[in-house]
Amino acid sequence: METIVFYVFSAFMILSALMVITVHNPVRAAFFLVLTFFSSAAVWLLLEAEFLAIILIIVYVGAVMVLFLFVVMMLDVNLAELKKGFVKNLPLAVIVALAMFAMIFMVVGGEQFGVQNFAVPERHAADYSNVSALGQLLYTEYVYSFEIAAVILLVGIVAAISLTLRRRPNTRHQKVEDQVAVKGADRLRVVKVESQPRKHTIDNAEVKK
Amino acid sequence: MLENYLPVLIFMGVGLLVGIGMTVMGLILSPHRPDREKNSPYECGFEAFEDSRLKFDVRYYLVAILFIIFDLEIAFLFPWAVVLDTIGTFGLIAMAIFLGLLVVGFIYEWKKGALEWE
Amino acid sequence: MVDLILSIYEIPIINILVKIIAILVPLLLTVAYFTYFERKIIGYMQVRIGPNRVGPRGWLQPIADAMKLMFKEIIFPSGANKILFTIAPTLTIATALAAWAVIPFGAEMVLADLNVALLYILAMTSVGVYGVILAGWSSNSKYAIMSTLRTAAQVVSYEIAMGFALVGVVMAARSLNIGDIVAGQSGSIWGWYMWPLLPLFVIYFISGVAETNRAPFDVAEGESEIVAGFHVEYSGILFAIFFLAEYANMILISIMAALLFMGGWLSPFQGVEFLGLGSSFLAGSSIVWLLSKTAIFMFLFLWFRATFPRYRYDQIMRLGWKVFIPITIVWIYVIGIMYYAELAPWFIKG
Repeated sequence: METIVFYVFSAFMILSALMVITVHNPVRAAFFLVLTFFSSAAVWLLLEAEFLAIILIIVYVGAVMVLFLFVVMMLDVNLAELKKGFVKNLPLAVIVALAMFAMIFMVVGGEQFGVQNFAVPERHAADYSNVSALGQLLYTEYVYSFEIAAVILLVGIVAAISLTLRRRPNTRHQKVEDQVAVKGADRLRVVKVESQPRKHTIDNAEVKK
Repeated sequence: MLENYLPVLIFMGVGLLVGIGMTVMGLILSPHRPDREKNSPYECGFEAFEDSRLKFDVRYYLVAILFIIFDLEIAFLFPWAVVLDTIGTFGLIAMAIFLGLLVVGFIYEWKKGALEWE
Repeated sequence: MVDLILSIYEIPIINILVKIIAILVPLLLTVAYFTYFERKIIGYMQVRIGPNRVGPRGWLQPIADAMKLMFKEIIFPSGANKILFTIAPTLTIATALAAWAVIPFGAEMVLADLNVALLYILAMTSVGVYGVILAGWSSNSKYAIMSTLRTAAQVVSYEIAMGFALVGVVMAARSLNIGDIVAGQSGSIWGWYMWPLLPLFVIYFISGVAETNRAPFDVAEGESEIVAGFHVEYSGILFAIFFLAEYANMILISIMAALLFMGGWLSPFQGVEFLGLGSSFLAGSSIVWLLSKTAIFMFLFLWFRATFPRYRYDQIMRLGWKVFIPITIVWIYVIGIMYYAELAPWFIKG
């Protein structure tokens, strides 16, 4: 049963990953990337990493891909323009791709991560909780890296704001504090008007006649 | 643990089937009489012009980026809340510092006016 | 015969399927009659009668609506991406329904008892935004795309507030399992998490209203500005599916509020000495309590719609970012202090 599920999702993952780089329409490519994340979450789940699997969906599918979609959907990606440089840049692209592949292979290749190097992990008992196992390590033993993560996120906030925030001049904001603090006297002025004699109106009426 | 996920998987499948089934039923049962005017995208009385996929304010990107960052912070908070009992005061203080850094970022956002919409 | 049925029921897959149907059929019926009650209740609030023609007192109205939508033509707008246009509603309903897999209806009545159930629901709601994005983008309509942007930005903003509110619940329960969270609230009505987490409770529910794009946060379909929003080009059954998903999500938010903050299936009379209520049958936990609490929140959705005028978009974003998020962060610190001080009856270490 598990093996079937594993192969189904792995096949899904590889196929949709292939589609990501072959599909022409960038929006469709982004959707296939979503599918890839989904299938890899399922594969992680099979490894009993339930917390990581769900966080993968929440953070990558639910947040990162939304941003990606925003970008590809709304930027006018001109396909013809993009294809123009394809042949010219092909040799360079091939070299970069090969170099990347070589590096990845050296790091996660068969020598380090082959099946022969690791015993098959034992299945955990039914009450095993991935979340608490992770939590107990993260906030005690690895607390230093945990705080570093906070600093990195802080840098992320600052960088995002300084890169994208453009203040437009002469836009108007709602100042809620002013609205709340407003007094009756600021809005309404009661003017004392002296009563006038009626003669004036009678004069007018006579003129009209 | 894994046996708990089998119903979830089947449930997702059934959910998809409900959607697909209704769509197919609708496609079969409903008439199909296309018409140029009927099919044109909705507009206020005039012919649609330009591509509808328009460019938009960079502010939306900023919201999306900030959302990713805050979402990550929440992802860190959940396992912490689960293991509160075992990590003790040390863990409480560790998270107080973590959240404190987030608050610094949040105040920066606020003061910079990144949260303003106009 | 009975033995045969029982033996078939023993097969795991059949067993699961029966349970799924036992959840889905009542859910879809509730959705159908939720629309009826919406029209009826808002009608009464506005001194109208509401639907009263189809069947006695209009009871058959939802069925008539469903039949009508089924036989209506599905219009594919010119320039639309047909495949994505057809997939979008299915994706929306599938994610809206999938979240129900982990909802418990009683101490033992749960289909999938996940350790990370709360995160799973959060994940499903965050995936739900794709239906909106797909629908808006594939429609090739300016109104749809504008609404998509607004909705996506609004939903993600309120998701943060919602996430922080849920962190508060997890801090109180020290578990992500919804059954455990409900069990943590037992004792008496004062054990419910709505008391120590009152600000988070309010924020959770209001964020839920914003997440489902309901009034007064329904700028996604604000009729006066962008007609019907992301589904302006949808007709017939495809439109009905969006509608179903929206209502299923509203019920989901309601039942989650009941489970996480109001003790779920626990009775409010639990532990009450007065008049011996605590020992009577009223004090027992039952699904009736859960459903009545859910109904209260569902009614609130309708009440909001009848009462409040629509928020302006900048006001929505201000409320989410500048009011809800600061309050939730401060309250997480407060819970930390309450936990440190071991405030009874909620924060007892062990």
